[in-house]
Amino acid sequence: MSSEKTHKVKDIFVEGSIDPAFIATSITKHATRTDIGAHEIFLGQVRSDIIDGSNVVAIEYTAYRDMALERMTAIREGAFAQWPSMTCLHVHHSLGNVQAGELCFMVFASAPHRVAAREAVAWVVDRIKAELPIFGREVLSDATHVWKTNA
Amino acid sequence: MEVLLFGLIAEKAGVDRLTVDASTMQELRNALADRIPDLGGLSHAIAVDRCIVHDNRPLTGSEEIAVLPPFAGG
Repeated sequence: MSSEKTHKVKDIFVEGSIDPAFIATSITKHATRTDIGAHEIFLGQVRSDIIDGSNVVAIEYTAYRDMALERMTAIREGAFAQWPSMTCLHVHHSLGNVQAGELCFMVFASAPHRVAAREAVAWVVDRIKAELPIFGREVLSDATHVWKTNA
Repeated sequence: MEVLLFGLIAEKAGVDRLTVDASTMQELRNALADRIPDLGGLSHAIAVDRCIVHDNRPLTGSEEIAVLPPFAGG
């Protein structure tokens, strides 16, 4: 594990949805890293669940930012400790309003070979969902709302 | 001490921060229950200096306290 991969506290939060064009640009930026042989990307999309007969039209995300970034730094360090061959790990999560069908979450790992990238992304996604203090107010089509809870 | 509230907890309290007096976690829990309607019926965790705690540790008053409803990231 090289410290430059892990020691900085990176801000994962972006205002509003994650633009697919941003993800394409992010992939393109890795072209110069010719030691990479595999990318694994998880994308979360706001799903229009039906709750008591109304559709979810958007989620408004808020977070306890300082704690979330501290937890994320620990998760990042844990990922590089478990998959030391991983070349890089990029995480972004939305804050504010994200409409149904838009992207709200990205975990993007690159490694020389596919297994490390795949395993790391699955682990990081699960840890983020369980440990980061992010809250989601689901806005319904009848103008009421419910608070999302991760299972 | 100042207490940060988030999500459903902030909605129920009608504010996103409270000031309470408490010298232990138990006193803090009691003070919060007095100030936040139905807190006992709402799933929540309390973070002290950005770590969730479950014990009855003493508090100096300088800690960063937050009341966190269930997480919903992703």
